Amino acid sequence: MRRMRYLVLTVVVLIMVMALGVPAASKAKEIKIGWSGPLSGDGAAWGQMEQWGVQAAEKEINDAGGVLGRPIKVIFYDDRADKLEVVNSVKRLITRDKVVAVLTHAYSSCCLAVAPLAEQYKVPFVSAMATHPTVTEPTPGSGKPRPNFFRVVLTAVAEGGSLATYVRERGFGKAAVIYDISQDYSLGIRDSFTKKFNSLGGKIVVEESIKGGEEEFRAVLTRIKAANPDVIIFTVYYKEAALLMKQARALGLDQQFAGGNGLESEVLTQLAGPAAEGAYVTTHFSPEDPRPIVQEFRDRFKAEHKIDPDSNAGKAHDALYLVADAIRRAKSDDSKAIRDAIEKTTKLDGVAGTITMNLKTHNPSGSDMPMVILQVKDGALHYVKSVSGE
Amino acid sequence: MAQFGLFIQQMVNGLSIGGVYGLSAIGYALIYSVFGFSNFVHGEFTMVGAFVALFTASSLNAPFAVSVLAGMAGAAITAVLVERVAYSPLQNRRAPSLYFFVSAMGMSILLQNLGIVTLGATFRTFPLKLPIETIRFGNISVGAIDILTFFLSICGVFLLEAILKYTRTGRAIRAVAYDSYAASLMGINISRTSMAVFLLAGLLAGLSGVLRGVSYTIYPTMGSIVIKIWVCAILGGLGSVSGAFVGGILLGVIETLVSGYISSSYRDVFTFVLLIAVLLIRPAGLMGKTVEEKA
Repeated sequence: MRRMRYLVLTVVVLIMVMALGVPAASKAKEIKIGWSGPLSGDGAAWGQMEQWGVQAAEKEINDAGGVLGRPIKVIFYDDRADKLEVVNSVKRLITRDKVVAVLTHAYSSCCLAVAPLAEQYKVPFVSAMATHPTVTEPTPGSGKPRPNFFRVVLTAVAEGGSLATYVRERGFGKAAVIYDISQDYSLGIRDSFTKKFNSLGGKIVVEESIKGGEEEFRAVLTRIKAANPDVIIFTVYYKEAALLMKQARALGLDQQFAGGNGLESEVLTQLAGPAAEGAYVTTHFSPEDPRPIVQEFRDRFKAEHKIDPDSNAGKAHDALYLVADAIRRAKSDDSKAIRDAIEKTTKLDGVAGTITMNLKTHNPSGSDMPMVILQVKDGALHYVKSVSGE
Repeated sequence: MAQFGLFIQQMVNGLSIGGVYGLSAIGYALIYSVFGFSNFVHGEFTMVGAFVALFTASSLNAPFAVSVLAGMAGAAITAVLVERVAYSPLQNRRAPSLYFFVSAMGMSILLQNLGIVTLGATFRTFPLKLPIETIRFGNISVGAIDILTFFLSICGVFLLEAILKYTRTGRAIRAVAYDSYAASLMGINISRTSMAVFLLAGLLAGLSGVLRGVSYTIYPTMGSIVIKIWVCAILGGLGSVSGAFVGGILLGVIETLVSGYISSSYRDVFTFVLLIAVLLIRPAGLMGKTVEEKA
């Protein structure tokens, strides 16, 4: 009797072990890709757009048969754009979820926080929207990019540069620049704007810093008023920009407002109201861009989410396509092979521009990828024109 | 813009912010002066007040005054609930004031996260269309809401002092503040008085929350301003309600002048240097009694 019981127990245990083994085997069919970004907190508006963009791409790719005959699965983690949290999320994606590539982060500061992990684990990382130059190149211009970090968006150099060019084009010569000392993104745009604006004959009459998270800016704005600029440049993020614009108008500052894509969010117009009217915003994508590939994406996105996609959605969509395309060309789901294939990407048409990866910078080449100018009209951001990304 | 005009505008800015701080600090100082601990949940009372007013105004389309009153009521109810749940058990056990402080921090984190989970972390604006948003005196601009906030803070101080001096509940509160054990021996219901204090603090917090929400934005972690409020209370003298108001005005002006004339980045550095200086040189603050424990 005793021996029977042991026999039954052994058989049960063997069945359980096999049962554990079997689901693992069927899950291995999926190719897993990770995403970490802000789905709550300050950057939530963007993180949510990125997630929807990635999901749209994931569905399109899987509906068309997946990659190498296998479906892709994107695993999403909310890191609240917190530099400590993103490290945790990324580690979890790589070590526990075993993703072959990581899509992260919207914030340059968070990219910089996890860049060492990309090299440590030798997994390719693709950022959809981070624009600080050092995200892909520890020393910009050195020709030695981070081996495992790429992006599908033009850097702050192109963003600040095209903003400066457009502002000069509109006839403004005396700029006040407001930047956020706690965000690498803001410092990046400030530097590139200033350089280009000065080279085009403009003058920065005053530069003022604020700290992200603050709400009271009238002291700083009063100083700006005293310097008498004809245009005020906001290199900060949308919440601070909205409060700044509101308080500026209340103080009697009637100048033209302009800024980088940190301003690109409907939250800007919701919070600022009429104060934001007429402001220029340079960014990377507009759903009003007349190209057919954009309009198709826009229609599908709008059908699913009832609102238009923004740059975050467009770039995140293209980031997943970049990885999927690389897996196809590499004919493998090995992270190193994917990394090598990403580096060789040429003229990949995305909804947010054409991607030709620059080997020396791991950024997309500016000659193939445009920047977009938007303007706030009647409480919403509208497409004005596309300009060169060079 | 002439240097003098610039200075006047900065002073106006400072007084505007000071009014917001002052109004928030009054309720906070009341709790400190009666119970002797820093009620850090005060920030969350203001947050609740702001959200209740927001929902009343946007979903029920109530006029501004009604939303303000609703916000005050919401904050007051929250304050009394917190008192019942987090403080009176400690009170009954005669726990040291540090326990109250820890309990306050715990409730603060709880309410913040509850807010984030249920309401979402997005920033909201209060739907208010004033006939006049800004008043201009030549080159100087003053916000209409800022004038209202300043005026209401002063009213708040006087009203509170009047309640404390002339009403029975006020006298009971003062007795409890002086010596709660002796007060209970005199027949004062400590439990009821405790709730009354929190009710008053909650009403004031709610008012300050709504006005802050109107001036800036409304979001679940907006209560984090409580650190600054604590500084105001220390500057003015913990234990003095009018002192806290003065501390608030002072902090607002100092912050603005530092931002305006030195650098915006040094603003918080300066605030905390000032705090340390006050604690070293005159710990009682401008108008307060000397108290050893400031936790």
